[in-house]
Amino acid sequence: MNRTFCALVLCVAFTAPAGAVDLPGGGKVEKVDFERHIMGLMSKVGCNLGSCHGSFQGKNGFRVSLFGYDPEFDHKAIARDNLGRRVNVGAPDDSLFLLKGSGRMTHEGGMRFGKDSWVYATFREWIAQGATWTAGSGSIVEMTVNPKDFAVVKEGQEKQLTVRAKFADGTEEEITPFCDFKITDDAIAAVSPTGLLTARKPGDAGLAILYRGTVRAVRVLVPAPGKPGVFPKPVNDLDREVFAKLKLLNMTPSELSSDLEFLRRVTIDTTAQLPTPDGIRAFLADKSPNKREKKIDELLAHPLHAALWATKLSDITGNNTDALETNQQPLKVKRSQMWHDWLRKRVADNTPYDKLVRDILTATSADGKKPEEWIAFTKKVDEQLTKGNKTDYPDKPSLDLFWRRQQQVPVEIWGEKVAAAFLGVRLECAQCHKHPTDRWTQEEYWAFANIFGQVTFNQTQFSSPEAKKLATEENDARKAKVEQRNANNINLVREVFVVDRPARMKPNPATNRVPTPRTLGGPEVTIKPGVDARVQLADWLTTKENPFFARSFANRVWAHYFGIGLVNPVDDFSLANPPTNPRLLDRLAKEFTDTGFDLRKLEKAILMSRAYQTSAKPNASNTFDRMNFARSYVRPLMAEQVVDVLNAALAVDEAFGTEAPSGYKMVEVGASRLNNANLSYILRIFGRPPRTTACDCERSAEPALPQTLFRMTDPILLQKMRAPNGRVQSLVKKKLADESMIEEMFLATLSRFPTEKEKTEAAKFLTENTNKTEALADVMWALINTREFILNH
Amino acid sequence: MSSLRRTDCEGFHRRNFLQLGSAGLLGLSLPGFLAAQASAKEKGTDNPKAKAKSVILVWLAGGPATIDMWDNKPDAPEGIRGEFKSISTSAPGIQFAETLPKMAKVADKVSVVRSLYHTIPSHAPATIFMTTGNKPTAALQYPALGSVAAKMLKTETGIPPYVSFIDLRGGLAGGAGYLGTGYNAFTVEGNANGRDKGDKADKGAAFRLRGITLPNGFSLADLDKRDQLLRTFDDGFRAIDQNNDLVDGLDTFHKQALEILRSEKTRRAFNLNEEKQSLRDSYGTGIGPAALAARRLVEAGVRFVTLGFGSWDTHQKTFDAHKTRLVPNLDSALSTLIADLADRGMLDDTIVMCAGEFGRTPKVNKNGGRDHWARSMACVLAGGGLKRGYVHGATDASGMAPATDPVTPDDVASTIFHQLGVNPQTELQTPTGRPIQLFREGRVVEKLIA
Repeated sequence: MNRTFCALVLCVAFTAPAGAVDLPGGGKVEKVDFERHIMGLMSKVGCNLGSCHGSFQGKNGFRVSLFGYDPEFDHKAIARDNLGRRVNVGAPDDSLFLLKGSGRMTHEGGMRFGKDSWVYATFREWIAQGATWTAGSGSIVEMTVNPKDFAVVKEGQEKQLTVRAKFADGTEEEITPFCDFKITDDAIAAVSPTGLLTARKPGDAGLAILYRGTVRAVRVLVPAPGKPGVFPKPVNDLDREVFAKLKLLNMTPSELSSDLEFLRRVTIDTTAQLPTPDGIRAFLADKSPNKREKKIDELLAHPLHAALWATKLSDITGNNTDALETNQQPLKVKRSQMWHDWLRKRVADNTPYDKLVRDILTATSADGKKPEEWIAFTKKVDEQLTKGNKTDYPDKPSLDLFWRRQQQVPVEIWGEKVAAAFLGVRLECAQCHKHPTDRWTQEEYWAFANIFGQVTFNQTQFSSPEAKKLATEENDARKAKVEQRNANNINLVREVFVVDRPARMKPNPATNRVPTPRTLGGPEVTIKPGVDARVQLADWLTTKENPFFARSFANRVWAHYFGIGLVNPVDDFSLANPPTNPRLLDRLAKEFTDTGFDLRKLEKAILMSRAYQTSAKPNASNTFDRMNFARSYVRPLMAEQVVDVLNAALAVDEAFGTEAPSGYKMVEVGASRLNNANLSYILRIFGRPPRTTACDCERSAEPALPQTLFRMTDPILLQKMRAPNGRVQSLVKKKLADESMIEEMFLATLSRFPTEKEKTEAAKFLTENTNKTEALADVMWALINTREFILNH
Repeated sequence: MSSLRRTDCEGFHRRNFLQLGSAGLLGLSLPGFLAAQASAKEKGTDNPKAKAKSVILVWLAGGPATIDMWDNKPDAPEGIRGEFKSISTSAPGIQFAETLPKMAKVADKVSVVRSLYHTIPSHAPATIFMTTGNKPTAALQYPALGSVAAKMLKTETGIPPYVSFIDLRGGLAGGAGYLGTGYNAFTVEGNANGRDKGDKADKGAAFRLRGITLPNGFSLADLDKRDQLLRTFDDGFRAIDQNNDLVDGLDTFHKQALEILRSEKTRRAFNLNEEKQSLRDSYGTGIGPAALAARRLVEAGVRFVTLGFGSWDTHQKTFDAHKTRLVPNLDSALSTLIADLADRGMLDDTIVMCAGEFGRTPKVNKNGGRDHWARSMACVLAGGGLKRGYVHGATDASGMAPATDPVTPDDVASTIFHQLGVNPQTELQTPTGRPIQLFREGRVVEKLIA
């Protein structure tokens, strides 16, 4: 909802008797209260935003607290500062505050409310009543929205929301007009500044209701018109939840996907590969009733499936090649590979997710081993690194690379990274002020950050004198082997460990006191000598009851297989952004925790579901569905999938140069930056994340013009189409009939047979162009440039 | 609607959210994103008040010793003043180092900012600061100025908005950051990065615009022939989903791609053979061809071109490096570019900026070099409604820090975008929905404006 539009609507005149203000919707305020009413309106009309008077410099000499977190400060700013000219109790209409806000005097922020509006009347009445402030009068005990959770509104109809607040003094009042309403998709339904919903078209949108830092959310559902359709039989509990939500929307799932559709989708999703022409034929020929299940089992056990998840987990955990310890680019690339290999082994072994995360979060270099054992292992891995890409690092119990960065990482950045990665919570707003649309305060932010105050990684500190002695000996030996001028380029032994005194803890800038380390919304963490605070964090994180841990990962898995999560973005679990289907998310999280965080089982349940196996073709009831899984969504591929799927279609290997062994697939490569300029370019334009920030949004999968141009004109891609042992040349060598060649090409790219029309056109093309290799390469070019090829569906 | 956005202070406003916000997040945002991106009409604004249309950034990677160039200090004590004398220029009262005789002739057409400074003496973050107009933070990747131009300015159909001849710090800078991959530069490949051997016959011959130049043996006729075939294969897919923005968006990109590939304008910009040999000679070798191509790209309608060369990181023998491999090349190319733009009447609406990530220590080190120094540096700005024959600010006697009118990289960025008709305080949203101003800390340097 546009702010200016709000302002216009707010201009509608209301008549009020002296001493009371009539509110839109029929309510009345007898006594205007600073905290309850004035501060609510200040947020609503936008005074206290970061780019207006809420900024740290204020605007034009007037500064209030950002989003109104500090009533005392704000009351002083309005009623006392500037020689009290902002309010004029004797002549309220002459108050600077009202002259500016209503645009009667030049105001850079424009007119925020009209002189005849109820907003003006409320401000005016407060000033007339003496512009007073009662500390704590607006402390909220409870805020309720009616309807709760879901607002079902039929297309073209309206529904009024009501919001009530119970305050600390025991009084209760309706505060609807003082709230701010924000809807995620106003194509589905519009919401007025006073909470009137108007349904526009069938679908589902999130609505956040904000009142002075308290946030509630409701999902607005606009059911499809028409008679309820017939639902297929649910395969499992996940389907039951998907279908239950669809029933509310009066949408029916599309038909079951065909075998061809299913096979292509699941192969790309699980392994970043395409089914081969022979594989497709074999799958079609298989008449066993459980052949899809067999295929799912086969793919989930495929080595590339673990590689794909190692890539995704590399994103989540921030395997940023540029930021890794060491100045040497080749070594950075190898360390990134170690990181990826460590993750890959765990996915391949189906290590429980809670253990995997614990082994990252509580990682140390020595893993509790004796110093000599640790040094020996480190030496071994470092020597392996000089020879090739394979190391014993995956055998190391914990992923200390997570903590080994070239630049020292401040505790608050660890806090943000960990929260985003494993809780799906974005904390960064709370670094400087209370999160405007979530529960997190600045105090909670810094308390969480301080959990990481013991983590130490630098050149001179080691966990014990013995470790220091041995590491120094080893480092001296390494230094002795190279010339002095290259001293900066030696790979030295360094150690990640925790110190007893959490020297790196930081104060909350608002209070200047160092908050005691505390989990997010959970228990405090005790810092004791000999105890790693991160272990307590991991303990809290991985309990079944943790509201974020299982949910956030289950949501990531779901989002991977459907192209959209139940919470979107997947790392934005917040009060203002509730899940589209909370019961489904609960169910997923329960399946996940009940199986002891078994990723493979969770994936299998998802892949077996009727929801996953639904066709991409919409039916009459679900064309507008975008987030409730009534059909399979057309979705872009990850950058790594693009590389691998292209190579699979063309039957060629990627030329990685020295950075990865030949025969490797892109999903098997750990580095976020490669020297191979060609590959870097492809990965960049298809949105591979640099893994710099703790945000899932770094991976952008949106289509862009350079991607299309790449498929059309890239010289290396065009060469691959004619590669000596590639798809086209092999087919030419086999001397197949034109019709068979066309069929092979369609199977290899689009994983389906050509239609009659396509067959005819392609055959005509092959007849008209006598050079077989060139003509087939042209057909290949055309297939690869289709939308059908570059999307999953 | 967009003119009102500035007063929409907070995040979450739906229009912003869809167009600028969560572009990468499927489902929620794709429709708005694609609508905005795919339709050239919707993209950016065309402010009639804009003084400048395009920018050419001549980037001196590694950090040039501007104390030996635009802010020479012949009267400073030994150990600081360096080896070069100063010479007079065509602008009264302005002197350059003697290594820049050709630039001296066009000094009456440029502004020199001598009071530019920041505090980051490390290559990568300093490059980010200078080329994005925002101090780097761990939490967010800022877009390069070229990407901002691609986002905020309207570009004619078939013309790439942002073209770069160089990779800034291996791709660490120069990218679209939070704006998303769609606003990255179109990159030029070939021998135009200053490494060519100066063979005249080779000049300009090897420019390729990645994604846009058709490879050898692939003609426009071939493209059309294949595209026809492609259409027959692609039509069926629509039936899968008549109502899908992703599918529609890709279709739009397909059409745009064909327009770009068929457009004569961009391709011709790289055909330097259309220029007189005397002019090409004047641009010189090294970055000369790229500078000339940059002018031609701007003529074709490109909004932002980055070119340059390195390494200006002269920790050793800085004076030798300047005399031989660095300054003569820059002197020819930059002076000819400015004169050429002026001759064609293009300097009025084209801004040329020449800078590196930082300056170098006024004190010469024991290896006859100068080390990283961010607290003082000079940069050249020309055209686009900026003053001519003007020096802005000054450093102190030893060149250590600005003495008057200090200017920061974000001020320079704000000034450039102000001239381009874009409010430097314009608020965009990051993919996480955080509202963010283009150049939060930047102030337009009014004194630089003519």
